[in-house]
Amino acid sequence: MRRVAWKSLLARKGRLVLTSLAVILGTAFLAGSFIFTDTIQRTFDNLFAQVYEDTDAFVRSSSAIDTGFGEEVRNTIPDSVVEQVAAVPGVSDAQGYVDGFARIIGSDGEPVGSEQGPPTFGGSMTTGELSTWTIADGRPPAGPDEVALNAGAAKDGDFEIGDTVKVTSNAGSREFTLTGIARFGDADSPGGATFALFDLPTAQEFVNERPGELDAVLVRGDGSLSDDELAAEIEAAVGLSGDIEVLTGAEITDETQSSVREGLSFFTIFLQAFAFIALFVSVFVIYNVFSITMAQRQRENALLRAVGASSRQVSITMLVEAVVIGLIGSLIGIGLGILLAQLLQSGLEAAGVDIPSSGIYLQPRTIVVTIVVGLLVTVVSALVPALRSGRVPPVAAMRDTALETTGAGRNRLIVGSLLLALGIACVLFGLFAGEPIFLAPGVPLVFIALFVLGPLVSAPVARWIGRPIAALRGVTGRMAEQNAVRNPKRTARTAAALMIGVALVTGVAVIAASVRDSVREIFGEQLRGDVVVTTNTFGFGGLSTDLAPTLQELPEVETATGIGINFATIEGDAQTITLVDPSTVGDVFDLEFAAGAVDDLTDDGILLSEGRAEDDDLVIGDTLALALLDGVPRTVTVQGIYGKDELAGPYTVSKGLFEGSSADVYDFAVFTTRADGVSEDELRTAVQTVVDEYGNGEVQTRSEYIDDQAAQIDPVLNLIIGLLLLSVFIALIGIIITLVLSIYERRREIGLVRAVGATRRQVRTTVRWEAVITSLLGAFQGIVVGLLLGYAVVLALRSEGLSTFTVPWTWILTVVVGAFVVGVVAAIIPAWRATKVDVLESLATT
Amino acid sequence: MSNLITEPPPTATPPVAAAGAIDAVKVYGTGESAVRALDGVTFHVGRGVFTAIMGPSGSGKSTLMHCLAGLDRLTEGQVYIGETYLSTLDDKRLTELRRKHVGFVFQAYNLVPTLTAYENITLPLLLDGRKGDSAWIDQVIDAVALRDRLTHRPSELSGGQQQRVAVARALASQPQIIFADEPTGNLDSATGAEILGFMRRAVHELGQTIVMVTHDPMAASHASRVIFLGDGRIVDEMADPTADRVLDRMKRFAE
Repeated sequence: MRRVAWKSLLARKGRLVLTSLAVILGTAFLAGSFIFTDTIQRTFDNLFAQVYEDTDAFVRSSSAIDTGFGEEVRNTIPDSVVEQVAAVPGVSDAQGYVDGFARIIGSDGEPVGSEQGPPTFGGSMTTGELSTWTIADGRPPAGPDEVALNAGAAKDGDFEIGDTVKVTSNAGSREFTLTGIARFGDADSPGGATFALFDLPTAQEFVNERPGELDAVLVRGDGSLSDDELAAEIEAAVGLSGDIEVLTGAEITDETQSSVREGLSFFTIFLQAFAFIALFVSVFVIYNVFSITMAQRQRENALLRAVGASSRQVSITMLVEAVVIGLIGSLIGIGLGILLAQLLQSGLEAAGVDIPSSGIYLQPRTIVVTIVVGLLVTVVSALVPALRSGRVPPVAAMRDTALETTGAGRNRLIVGSLLLALGIACVLFGLFAGEPIFLAPGVPLVFIALFVLGPLVSAPVARWIGRPIAALRGVTGRMAEQNAVRNPKRTARTAAALMIGVALVTGVAVIAASVRDSVREIFGEQLRGDVVVTTNTFGFGGLSTDLAPTLQELPEVETATGIGINFATIEGDAQTITLVDPSTVGDVFDLEFAAGAVDDLTDDGILLSEGRAEDDDLVIGDTLALALLDGVPRTVTVQGIYGKDELAGPYTVSKGLFEGSSADVYDFAVFTTRADGVSEDELRTAVQTVVDEYGNGEVQTRSEYIDDQAAQIDPVLNLIIGLLLLSVFIALIGIIITLVLSIYERRREIGLVRAVGATRRQVRTTVRWEAVITSLLGAFQGIVVGLLLGYAVVLALRSEGLSTFTVPWTWILTVVVGAFVVGVVAAIIPAWRATKVDVLESLATT
Repeated sequence: MSNLITEPPPTATPPVAAAGAIDAVKVYGTGESAVRALDGVTFHVGRGVFTAIMGPSGSGKSTLMHCLAGLDRLTEGQVYIGETYLSTLDDKRLTELRRKHVGFVFQAYNLVPTLTAYENITLPLLLDGRKGDSAWIDQVIDAVALRDRLTHRPSELSGGQQQRVAVARALASQPQIIFADEPTGNLDSATGAEILGFMRRAVHELGQTIVMVTHDPMAASHASRVIFLGDGRIVDEMADPTADRVLDRMKRFAE
């Protein structure tokens, strides 16, 4: 039987290619996502290993607060540490450095780098062997008027040595003379970031606004001590003077690498999630292809049975074939994955994210996982069709046609409904019982259930879709409709692959639209400001806290209040907290206090959201242990409990709490209301004048600000939909494969209609409309499922502030049009093949 | 293939020719393995005449019919339908000619399985975007006694009924000529005789022109003229055949 399996594989190369194609695509995306993230990871590992190559010890504050995603905020250390360290025997060089936010304004007046893109840094430039930078051109900056730029930023900003460069930091905007162009290791723009580099005092004052304070000290030994000994010596010399820790060069390299790894892990998981979605879709396609090809081989299998092969032997032959296809497909998939990873990387490079390439990194793990998953997926997909092949009665060899039998509708209905109920239960449990892990089996189960139930609805729905086409296109449309309906199982399975992609796209679009509207509603209700000053340096400092008081002085301004975000350790856990000015914030935001009021807030108090207060069982007057960046233990008293936490989050404190702590305090936005008789335009103009002096911040009206906030979901939405298009692409390939196989099966009747007078064009039209009906069927099912899924998610997130459910009609229309296009595109190859059917040959086939 | 003949087809050939072949040559393959399926066939099909083409397997009778009907092209020589040389037509025009002026009845797989009997009957008209002559179509449907089967799919019809649908389709568009390729080959003799009866009535009562390829003497006896083909040439011809005379003639091929 092994020979039979092998021969039959070779005998049908075309079918082999088609079946493999589905496996190849599914595994290619998986392999591609592994290879891409591994490559990026290794690139960063190499980069930091190179950067800290000559650093033997690293001195910094030991007081830090973890802010998530591998990021942290860390306290500074005084300048004096450098001298202390330099005096330690065995140290040949010690240099302090700082870094923070700074944005380079290009020679065209536009900021270099995009707002949503990689970060823009400013910092001090270390020199000599300790430097993380190498000067490619010019010399390092010296004095308060000089700057060096990373090579990528200099190129993007169109600057040459000697040019005047405007740089904006939290301290405002200032002009510098460009003295040098630097590279970070091998990279012109490491990770796509931009860097403005100054000498240490300038950076301390302009970037960090903290003269005399350092982020860290880099130390180089003279070679007389090992790194560990050196670190111990330094620790002995300075460690007693406060919250200072000393790391070896290896430790800081390792820490930086793992923090990058943690930062990337979100991205990795994200990418792989979509690779698995694509794989899931390809399972449907693979299953469909096996079902069709095995049905087409019914006579052949019946003949084998007739001449004495056992049912088991026939099934095993089919499975052996699946193993070979899975293996070949996975191997080609790995190859294609390498190409995909390269493509992604060049795409990023084109978008300005320079990843110094050290070549594509193919880990043995990638090869093993891809082959195992590819094989598993193929064999599982082939299992049912193979078993069905084995059950072919020998007498089928004598029959003319080999049509797929439609299984008992009743069993299908029962099994499908049970699966659906189970899937929905899992989804609901996942969404509403706070166990999101149940979504992982729940959503696929729903899709599988719909896959099972599909044949029951595909015929009526396809007929409904096909009716207008038949009316419009006459007999070719009618034949298309009938072809789509004639084999409900096949049509349903083909459409199901598209259904998944469309359902997920629709679901995401629903959630995004609802988020957008909710954001509008929340701001509409809670924000009373008329003009807002915002900054896009969120997470890297922001607006000076002097701005709000200055604006308050304006006659056009009734109230101006600045809001900041910062970090603190509360009861031992790192928390993000909102910083407000209690005397003014109440005029601009309405947080609906359940107890106390915002005016009650003092510098040693805290306001809690209702949810937080309930969860922790706290009431007004209770106290919490809180520590800021300096690590000094503080006690704060609960002074108010508010109902609306969508904007304020769970914890709100007064900015006064941070006074005297070493944490940087910035506002991410300043909200203003206008004085009586002042128009919005007048207020805006007045605010703009002040902001221009500060050189940092963007002035927006209330509606512009709200639009901006609502649009923040858009890049994420676009990314997700872009990745989901992968699965739509696989579904498209699925339609192509199915149609090609169907046309092979129908060549006799195609020959007949050609003989009685159908033109090639009419044959093409018939195929095209069949494809369109199939893809519209998938799209309609997907839209319905997506809307329901989106609705469930929105409902589940109601407590998180998702207050509205919005149906994105434009999106849905786009999806329908898109499905139409998918159908037309998918039909190109099958339609062409249909016109190539030889009339005489097909009529002669008996 | 010669496109040089520009004079109109011999429409004046008595009685009046509906179609015909002039020095038709069809060669399959090249070099040593070349086979001359048609080796200089010339004959004309009279209008309103039921012509049968007979011959043993490999005599070229199917090839001749396929070339006459515009399903295949000659290597040399000419075929014509009405006033048109088929070699002058490209694929699109040839297709148009088939659906407007030619009707087909094949041995099997005659019908589109997804369409109803009525849709199958009117398929060439529908493909042409025409309504057709509804009175005529009614007449045809009654003639083949399919009135109560019009909404059925081919799979719901018996073999005889399916062939009747095929005959009705061939008649429905009122073509200049109908080609039938072993139309009774898959039927039992009674059903076959019934189909042949319909075809004969179409010729005698409705004035249709039919060319039928068959190897069944009984079927050929329904025709008014039989052409015998052997090794790609016309070897004999018989007017007003009977089954016995055809059988006798066929036996001589074996000798």
